[in-house]
Amino acid sequence: MSRNSLKWLPAVVVPAVVVAAVIAVPLQAGAAVDLPDKTPEQVLLLVNDSTVSAFSGTVSQSSDLGLPALDLSAGMTESMQKSMAESMPEGAAESVPGESTIGALSTALELLSGSHEFRVYVGGESQSRVQIKDRMAERDVVHNGNDVWLYDSNGNAATHLSVPADFAAPAESKFAELKSQLPTDLSTPAQLAERFLSELDPSTMVSVGTDARVAGRSVYQLVLTPKAADSLVESVSIAVDSETGLPVQVTVLAEGQSAPALQVGFTAIDFAAPDADLFDFVPPTNATVTEQAIPALPDRAIGDHTEAQSPTADELPRVTGNGWSSIVEVPAAAVPAELGDNPLIDQLTSAVEGGRALTTSLMTVFLATDGRVFAGSVPLAQLQAAAE
Amino acid sequence: MSFSDVLPAAGRSDIPVRRGGGWDLLGSEISVLFRRRRTWAMLVAVALIPVLLAVAVRLSSSTLNPGEGPPFLDRVTQNGLFVGFTAMVVAIPLFLPLTIGVVAGDTIAGEAGLGTLRYLLVAPAGRVRLLLVKYAGAALFCLVATLTLTVSGALIGAALFPVGPVTLLSGDTISVTESLLRSLLVAAYVSVSLLGLSMIGLFISTLTDVPVGAMAATIVVSVVAQILDVIPQLSWLHPWLFSHYWLGFADLLRQPLDLSSFGQNAIVQVCYLAVFGALAYSRFVTKDILS
Repeated sequence: MSRNSLKWLPAVVVPAVVVAAVIAVPLQAGAAVDLPDKTPEQVLLLVNDSTVSAFSGTVSQSSDLGLPALDLSAGMTESMQKSMAESMPEGAAESVPGESTIGALSTALELLSGSHEFRVYVGGESQSRVQIKDRMAERDVVHNGNDVWLYDSNGNAATHLSVPADFAAPAESKFAELKSQLPTDLSTPAQLAERFLSELDPSTMVSVGTDARVAGRSVYQLVLTPKAADSLVESVSIAVDSETGLPVQVTVLAEGQSAPALQVGFTAIDFAAPDADLFDFVPPTNATVTEQAIPALPDRAIGDHTEAQSPTADELPRVTGNGWSSIVEVPAAAVPAELGDNPLIDQLTSAVEGGRALTTSLMTVFLATDGRVFAGSVPLAQLQAAAE
Repeated sequence: MSFSDVLPAAGRSDIPVRRGGGWDLLGSEISVLFRRRRTWAMLVAVALIPVLLAVAVRLSSSTLNPGEGPPFLDRVTQNGLFVGFTAMVVAIPLFLPLTIGVVAGDTIAGEAGLGTLRYLLVAPAGRVRLLLVKYAGAALFCLVATLTLTVSGALIGAALFPVGPVTLLSGDTISVTESLLRSLLVAAYVSVSLLGLSMIGLFISTLTDVPVGAMAATIVVSVVAQILDVIPQLSWLHPWLFSHYWLGFADLLRQPLDLSSFGQNAIVQVCYLAVFGALAYSRFVTKDILS
C-alpha cells in the first residue's frame, strides 16, 4: 500500500512543480527593482537626453476598452474582413469615400480591440520598419530614406510612396506637425509617450511611480494623473528605461477598471542596430504594386488645426472645457453624410436619450439626432449636457 | 522537473535491467510500429493531403484571389513550394492529431488489448523502460508524419507548378535552398507541437485495455483544447493549452526569422511532457497487468 502511494508521488509532485514554475517565473521577472530616486523632471530629462537612434524589438499592444459586443475578429468572419479589405485597395481608398470610411474604421477598431504584436526595427532617423504580426499573415511598413513601402501579405499587395528629395524637407516638417496632433499614432511607445508628454499642463499631476521591469530593462514609471475628477482616464504611466531613457511602455488606466484600458510596450528590446538589409524593401515579383503619390499638403490642412483662418466657421470643430475633460463638438455640416447609413455605426453605438452613443472605458462619443457629434474622455451625461 | 529527472530513482525500484536491453526493445518497437499496415495507411493519407491540394489547384480553371482559401493557397500556382505550407496549415487542426491519437492511444492499451503486455513485461525490460520506448516510438511517428507531409508537398509542388524564390509573409524573398531549410524548420516545429499530445495519448493509453477508447479519447482531448483556445473568456488559459502554438509556425516564415514562438511552443510541450509523463508513470507502475 505505502509502496504504491509512493509511486503516485510523481503524479502529484510534478504537476505541482510545473504549476508553481508557471506562476513563479513571471513573478520573478517582475521582481522588485530599486533604482536611485528621480524627480519627474529628471525622468523627463532622461527621456529628452535619450540618444538611442537604432534598436529593434517586439512590441505588444493590448486593450480593454470595453467596446460594445462587437468583437471584430470573432463577430466578423474572416472572409467578410477579407472582402472588405479587397473592396478597398489602399490606392483606391480615397476615390470611394463610403467604403474608405468603413475600411479605415474597421482597421482602427481592429487595432484597438484585443491584442496585437508588432516587431519594430529602427535603424536611425530615416530607416524604420514595423511588422504587424497577424495570424498566418503580416502587414509591413518600411521606411527607408525617401521611400515608404506598405505590404500586406494577405492580399500580396504592396503600396509605394515616394517622397521626392526636394519635397521631403517641407513635407517632413508638415508631417511632424500633423503627427503631433494625431492622437491615434500608436506605432511605437516613444510616439505615444511624446503625445502624452505634450499634454502636460496644469491639469495634470506628474509623479514617479514604483520602479519596475519591462522587457528585461529596469524602468522609471512616470505617472500622469488627471486633476479633473470627471475624466474617464485614471492615470497614464510611461515606463522609461533607466539606462537609455527610451520610453518602453505606456499604460493607460481607466476609471473603475483594474485591467489597463490600453497598453503598448516592448516585450523584448535590443539596442544593437538592425541589419540594414531589412530596410531595403523590394516588392515580391508577383505582388500587386500600387504607386501612390504623396498627397499635396495644402496649407488648409494645417490651418484647420491652428484655427487661424476659418473658411466657414460652422464647419470647424469646437472645443469646450479644458485639459482631460475637454469635449470636442463637430458641427453637423462637417460630419460626412454617409456616417449615419454606415451599418458599423449602428452596431457600435446604442440608442440613448437625444441620439446614439458609443461608450468605452476611455472615451465617449455622442451622435446627437441633429447630426452633431460630441466626443470626450468624460461620462456620457456631460456630452448630453453639452449638446443641449 | 522533467520526466527524465523523475525516472532514474523510480527505475531502480523496478526489476534491474541490462544495459542495451532498452535499445533492443526500442528497435523492435519501431520496427513493429512501422511494419504495421495501419501506420503505412496513415502516412499515405498524410502524404495525400498536399497531393490532393495541388491536383485540385492544378485542375481548376478559376484562379484564386490573393487571401482567398487557406493561407498561401493562392500562391501555389506561382510557386509550388507553397503546397507544403498550405498542406501543413490544413493538416494541423485535425488530421495530424488524429494520426497521433491513433498511434499514442494504441501504445499501452493496444498491447493490453492483444494480451501481449505481460509478455513484454516478463522480458527484463521494466515498466518504466517500456513506457519510455513506447513514447519514443510515438514521438518518432510525429516526426515521420510531418516530414512525410513536407516532402510530399515539396515533390508534388515541384512536379505540377513552377518553383522559384519564395516570398515570405514579410514580403521579402528568399532562395529555394533557404525555403527548403525553412520547410524543414516548420516540420520540426510541428513535430515538437505534437509531442505534448503524444504524451497525453500515452497516459490515456495506460488507463484502459481498450485501444480504440484511448485513441478516441486522445483525439477528443485535442479537439477540446482547440475549442477552449477560441473562447475569449478563457484567454488566461490559452498560452498554456498544448494546441495554442500549433499554427505559430507562421513566425518561421517571417523575415528576420523569429524563433521566439518556437521556444514558447517547446516550453509548453515540455510542461505537458512532465505532467503527463509523471501521471503515466504513476498509473503504469501501479497498474495490475492482467492481460
